[in-house]
Amino acid sequence: MPKALVALSFALSVLSAQAADVTVTVAAFPAVDEIVKAAAVKWEQKNPGVKVKVISRAYADHHTAMTTSLATSSDLPDVMAIEYGYLGRFAQSGGLVNLSTMDASLEQQLKALVPYAVAQGAFEGFGQVAMPTDIGPGALFYRKDLLDACGASEKDLISSWDGYLKTGDCIKAKTGAALMPHARDIKDIVIRAGVKAGEGVYFDANGKSLVGSAPRFQQAFELAKQVRERGLDAKINAWSNEWGEAFKRGTVASQMMGAWLGGHLANWLAPDTAGKWRSANLPNQAYASWGGTFYSVPTKAENKKEAWALIQYLTRDVAQQQAALEKFNAFPALVQAQEGGSFNAPIPFLGGQSARAQWRESALKIVPTKVFKHDAVAEEILNAELDQVLLRGKSVAEALKDADRMITRRARR
Amino acid sequence: MAPYWLLSPFLLLFLIFGLFPIGFSFFLMFQAWDPVQGLSSMTFVGLENIAFAIEDPLVWLSLKNTLWLAIVSGLPQHLVAIPMAYFINEFLGKWRNAAMGAYFLPYITSTVAIAIMFSSLFSTDYGVVNVALTQMSEWPLVGWLLPDANVDWLGQAETIKPVVAMVVFWRYVGFNVILYVAAMQGIPRDLYEAGRMDGASNLRLFWHITLPQLKPMMYFGTVLSVIGGLQLFEEPFILTGGRGGLEYSGMTTAMYMYRTAFEFNDFGLASAISWFLFIIIALLTWLTNRAFKDRTGAA
Amino acid sequence: MTMVQKKINTDGAALAWTGRVFLALGGIAMLAPFFFMFVFATHTRADIFSVPPPLFFSDHFFENIQILMAKIPFWRNLGLSLYVGIMATGLTLLFCSMAGFAFVAYEFRFKKALFALVMATMLVPAFLGMIPTFMIMDGLGWINQPRALYLPAAAPAMGIFLMRQYISSAIPKDLYEAARMDGCSEWSVYWRVVVPLLGPAFGTLGLITFIASWNNFMGPLVVMRTPEMYTFPLALRSVQSPVDTEWGALMAGSAVAVIPLLIIFVFSSRRLIEGLTAGAVRG
Repeated sequence: MPKALVALSFALSVLSAQAADVTVTVAAFPAVDEIVKAAAVKWEQKNPGVKVKVISRAYADHHTAMTTSLATSSDLPDVMAIEYGYLGRFAQSGGLVNLSTMDASLEQQLKALVPYAVAQGAFEGFGQVAMPTDIGPGALFYRKDLLDACGASEKDLISSWDGYLKTGDCIKAKTGAALMPHARDIKDIVIRAGVKAGEGVYFDANGKSLVGSAPRFQQAFELAKQVRERGLDAKINAWSNEWGEAFKRGTVASQMMGAWLGGHLANWLAPDTAGKWRSANLPNQAYASWGGTFYSVPTKAENKKEAWALIQYLTRDVAQQQAALEKFNAFPALVQAQEGGSFNAPIPFLGGQSARAQWRESALKIVPTKVFKHDAVAEEILNAELDQVLLRGKSVAEALKDADRMITRRARR
Repeated sequence: MAPYWLLSPFLLLFLIFGLFPIGFSFFLMFQAWDPVQGLSSMTFVGLENIAFAIEDPLVWLSLKNTLWLAIVSGLPQHLVAIPMAYFINEFLGKWRNAAMGAYFLPYITSTVAIAIMFSSLFSTDYGVVNVALTQMSEWPLVGWLLPDANVDWLGQAETIKPVVAMVVFWRYVGFNVILYVAAMQGIPRDLYEAGRMDGASNLRLFWHITLPQLKPMMYFGTVLSVIGGLQLFEEPFILTGGRGGLEYSGMTTAMYMYRTAFEFNDFGLASAISWFLFIIIALLTWLTNRAFKDRTGAA
Repeated sequence: MTMVQKKINTDGAALAWTGRVFLALGGIAMLAPFFFMFVFATHTRADIFSVPPPLFFSDHFFENIQILMAKIPFWRNLGLSLYVGIMATGLTLLFCSMAGFAFVAYEFRFKKALFALVMATMLVPAFLGMIPTFMIMDGLGWINQPRALYLPAAAPAMGIFLMRQYISSAIPKDLYEAARMDGCSEWSVYWRVVVPLLGPAFGTLGLITFIASWNNFMGPLVVMRTPEMYTFPLALRSVQSPVDTEWGALMAGSAVAVIPLLIIFVFSSRRLIEGLTAGAVRG
């Protein structure tokens, strides 16, 4: 008897030791990797026996590596961080778990997150494959001092596109600053406005190109052309040296981007301009989002249950989401994390404005658009055609016709 | 039997690691494949990819860019390297190694560093190049040649190509300098002595003795430049931020292929483009071979 | 092969000095970007992007290195790059000299075809092979292992080409003919007669191989899946965020990455010249 007991207890201890050895691999990119690493500390404490390992790669490299892994169904992480821009492609591969199969209460849980972000993570035929963790509700960041030089008010700036451009004329005349970095920016917003339910930005519900028919494209191109002709853009590309410098020197008066830009401006882009910026809603009652990070579980992952538990913690733990906001400018997708004193507190960099409350409101108004596999190509083609209009004087009608033709051709593949 | 044993490592490695990828990409050319959907999602489409590639204006544009860049960055590499090598060999004495080290440095830098350095140097409003140029445009003699306003190097279609060509030139000219210095070191001095005794000037010595002796090295260097130039990817990729620049003026075929594969997720088309490029490289290499064959017999 | 360096009789110091001036200018052009890289490595991120950019050294180098070390397993990545580089170089020198010798010293069937094959492999662009390579490595169980980095390219065509040129021109046929007639096995001929004479070629090829291996990031990107197994350039790239890169740390890392290559170059430059000389001139 005693021998059997010894054997049994030995076997049990071996088994439990094995059970304790679970490592959840998370593949991510900066700064999501830092967010996960920070959260992992607390999570491991709460879940003894489970460890978190974060594999970090540069943004593009990460998605390339994930593409490779999905292609060969091999070497997949347990938790995959995916940036919105890649979500459409990855989700429709069938390689990501439909999260409602992992958790019957998913629908209930999703109610705690910002609706449009949730919708972005769901795909027809595949279900909810991704959980949003941070979002980028669009805002118009502008230099109040430059606006003041014109005697204009915020309302003048954002009430309509016309008003926006007119105010820009004034700012240019009075201060020499450009209204926006690049005429492309205005095109990007306008084509996202007026998207009907079930449609994508470039394609209708059946995958047919809308570029030649939907009026918003023509409007976008016309406005961009206006901007360029009136000298309202600085012809600077985002994230370039000139771009950063333009903010430091106040040669660009406004920037439409995700709310997280505020944090970057304050931290390293233009810290010396503190107090001069404000945040407003996008002009013409437009509501759009920039990026956003999601977490998914690959179908071939090894530790799916633990992966899901970690994802739940990352996306629904209030303290965690708020910590990510404070340290890494990640705007929470969790509605509850958007409340509370610190959230409504004034932001010194923005001259004491309680901008977060504004962003929270605008996040609720964003209409989710359907994502298509060929969105990246469509965007590329459209940008190339816009360049032709802006630089070579090509007519808007012709540019759109060509774009439509090329996109249709590409999308057939 | 012996030669086969000696070649066996190469053959083995090639069979395992070389043949399969080549075969696979050849096979892919006839498939439509979005890699993210997994291997089983491949569908046979026959010659459709090839037809699409031939009709794709971007393929031709990228080929034009690639050829332009290969020539404009490649030719100067040799034209400049040869005289430079001559100077280093003849006039520097003990500074020779240091000079070669300096010229070799660009070759060993990583592309990350190069990306940042050159984007910064060529920055429109704040780059050293523009600052220097606008300053120099004030100088009396040469000033009128130079632009007196900031040039948007990386933002304009016309200037992207020259900038990329210059960076490529910068990166590889040193490599060629070393090749040629080495070659020149091997030229027997008596040839020069004999020539000098006949009263030849330096220029004539260079032209009639040095150059012909350099032919074998020129062959080697040219083949490398042709192949490397046509496969240009890294430099244009980082200088244009991976997108090819305005109007795609900085997009080489290799870069277009990469984007087709990893950004547009169309591996079948990417394969077709790569084989297209391969044929062109093979053709030009063969031509280079022919051009040098008569002179050296070393083909 | 000795390098006899007599000063030639310059017709006019003018030519000599013109030459030196051009070389100096050229040298500055070559070195300037480096200078900036090293300068940037000593500045904070905010400084690098200011205008005008910093022109001289500051004192934040160690700070930058520390930021870097906090983000990546610095020494491990560096060590791994070194290990892979050495293995790649060693194997390449061996395999390429073997193949080069085979092409020079023997006549055999398929010789021309095989050499054409060798040349043809130089023409194939690398990254379409990314996914099939990944599949192979996965099948072999070599994912995340250094051997997946140095083995596949251990007999590169360029190396074989170089070796062939060198051996055919710098090593007299009589040497190994004689050895054969003395009854040496073929392997001995190769190993004892030819290899000792390959110093310069080894120097050249070794340097080029090491550099290529060191700077390669595509291969490791595909095959190395955990941060501890990254090579150094890959680790540096992983620090790059679309919005929030620590540029100072990145530049400091790049500066560090260049130093081993510089050292190796300094040590092998003499051999490099000798190697290229014989191989190419008479080739």
